Amino acid sequence: MSQLNSKHLLGIKGLSRAELELIFQTADNFKDVINRPIKKVPSLRDVTIANVFFENSTRTRLSFELAEKRLSADVINFSSSSSSVKKGESLLDTVNNILAMKVDMIVMRHSSPGAPHFLAKHIDANIINAGDGTHEHPTQALLDTFSIYKKYGSLDGKKIVIVGDILHSRVALSNIFALQKLGAEVKVCGPITLIPRYISDLGVSVELDIKKALEWCDVANVLRIQLERQQIKYFPSLREYSLYYGINKVLLDSIGKEITIMHPGPINRGVELTSDVADSDHSIILDQVENGVAVRMAVLYLLAGRQNEN
Amino acid sequence: MRYILNSVTVIDPSSDFHNQKVDVLINQGKIEKISKKIDETEVKKIELPEGNNFLAQGFFDFSVHFHDPGHEYKEGIDNGLNLLAKNGFTGAGLLPNTSPVIQRKTDISYVVNKGNGHLVDLYPLGAITIDCKGEELTEMIDMHHAGALAFTDGTNPIGNADILLKTLLYLQKFDGVLIQKPEDARLNLFGSMHEGKVSTMLGLKGMPDIAESLFIQRDLKLLAYTGGKLHFSGISTAESVEMIREAKEKGLIVTCDVAIHQLLLDENAIEDYDTNCKVNPPLRTEEDRKALVEGVKSGVIDVITSHHLPQDEENKKMEFDLAAFGMIGIQSFLPKLIELSKQIPMETLLKCCTANPRKILGLENGAIGEGILANLTIYEKENSWEYSLSNNESNAANSPFIGTKLKGKVLGTINGTNHLFNS
Repeated sequence: MSQLNSKHLLGIKGLSRAELELIFQTADNFKDVINRPIKKVPSLRDVTIANVFFENSTRTRLSFELAEKRLSADVINFSSSSSSVKKGESLLDTVNNILAMKVDMIVMRHSSPGAPHFLAKHIDANIINAGDGTHEHPTQALLDTFSIYKKYGSLDGKKIVIVGDILHSRVALSNIFALQKLGAEVKVCGPITLIPRYISDLGVSVELDIKKALEWCDVANVLRIQLERQQIKYFPSLREYSLYYGINKVLLDSIGKEITIMHPGPINRGVELTSDVADSDHSIILDQVENGVAVRMAVLYLLAGRQNEN
Repeated sequence: MRYILNSVTVIDPSSDFHNQKVDVLINQGKIEKISKKIDETEVKKIELPEGNNFLAQGFFDFSVHFHDPGHEYKEGIDNGLNLLAKNGFTGAGLLPNTSPVIQRKTDISYVVNKGNGHLVDLYPLGAITIDCKGEELTEMIDMHHAGALAFTDGTNPIGNADILLKTLLYLQKFDGVLIQKPEDARLNLFGSMHEGKVSTMLGLKGMPDIAESLFIQRDLKLLAYTGGKLHFSGISTAESVEMIREAKEKGLIVTCDVAIHQLLLDENAIEDYDTNCKVNPPLRTEEDRKALVEGVKSGVIDVITSHHLPQDEENKKMEFDLAAFGMIGIQSFLPKLIELSKQIPMETLLKCCTANPRKILGLENGAIGEGILANLTIYEKENSWEYSLSNNESNAANSPFIGTKLKGKVLGTINGTNHLFNS
């Protein structure tokens, strides 16, 4: 396989294992590139990309922007903290206005699940989903699984627990789909009110006890508690959360084995993870960030169809 | 005017002419004669297409939504009534969720006046609470005398048990029917589809089935306490069917309806974020759909409605969670009944949209026979046609069936001295 089957990256659900592996191979090459003295290649020098962010994001937008620039694409940024609908302009109008300036690719973050799928039905440009509400965030899952792959060489048979607010996460579903396609076993752990009721229908098991979850796993991917996404109260206090679901060094030492700690960031230090865990040797949190740029370069490169021209 | 309908097959199990191919002579809005062959050369013969044509009691839609007054561009009463007439309906109940809400006798008069001169008898349903907010009771007796047929907060459920209890009691003065949408709105807060595997995969906030069954359970208890007549509008779960069956067996005066799309589609229709399939109550599981079909067959579900709820493009061509609820369903209604007749006998389906809704609302007309008012729908069920944006007769186009092939068409609608033939 040398190319992706779709011109968009809307989610992991629609990708095959072979496509995931193709992205990994390509990301491996780009990881070499960004560690060279000259970190830039000319692959997308004729491509204009708009990063359209309807929700706040710092690292995802930066990571995309850097990936785009390292591929020599022209980049424009649009961000609006609230949905454009509230301003009286529809999503389609906003994006069509940007496309009228001859933009080739759209990287979009939006609070509505399915917003990029909706766009894909109505516009011609390539669309990369940079997070659609509580649905998917495919490049985050790709960089997470790529980071596990880089550490272990394979995901087959690996046990991954995703900890925290699964219900409001934009990362959890994509991670579940990617991990399962790559042969890993997935468990989720958190307060039961933050776990989707039908998650086990996706082949995921549920554990309510953090210690048992950590004892089971090879890798713990710890999610941010998204207080800003909770329109209703799901648990009483951050204090209680960190007491019963936070991961600290004492807890890690008590399970008697080494596990890898991941976090998509930004960390609420002292809530999900204590500093001595986040900054420990077991943590690959900063590798995730580095791999994020390489993975996004791979996705942009593959979607632009450049592999056929080389 | 006197005219003859030639060789139509009567589908009306309560009629002596059920399943017989007959000629029907109509005079001054009444059925004068039904016979194997009526040979009156002087009388005008209505030209019906060749082939098998069927004659049923006129369809009655229990609850339609026309956004008039307020957002007439989405449909409006005039266009809505023309749409109903062309598609076999002779009567309809109009939901009060307009802007302003239909909640005073003057509002009722507005609807009654707007309906005058149309083929379709339009019956306003009055709001139970001011602005359908579920807080303060409206003047229901006054509205009843002005022509309100029944009372409901329409697309809004009555959440406050005390309001529901008092209304069930209050309406007993004139034997009125309370129509309730069974939904615990708090459990459905921010939800946009059925809670289940599909909503989990799509990342959409779900609307759990217990949000409906909790209210049905509660409201049945209230009904047992107060007496009166309660009708649940738009049930969607297997458990709802079961609870209503038990309540009927106990002798409570409870009836219910189902939206036709609930009998045809399930949650999987939303897989591609199709906002035309965003309805409330949401499309449920295949098991629920099957239970609803069984509910119609066994008579637990009394009525099938179009749940016609027009929305403009600005409220549908957008992000799924932000899109408005609702689906139009009048024009596809008969073809979809025909599609359903593979699972449910056509006689049963027709009863659910003719005699049953009229009986619940006290509007019985009687079986097709000589001497009764001509309140009739003529249809055929063989010819297929594509339902498209160009032949869509509604002002709105929020139907997942647009762009699909449908089978069967309404050929004519007769209501007393008014008639409309599509051929």
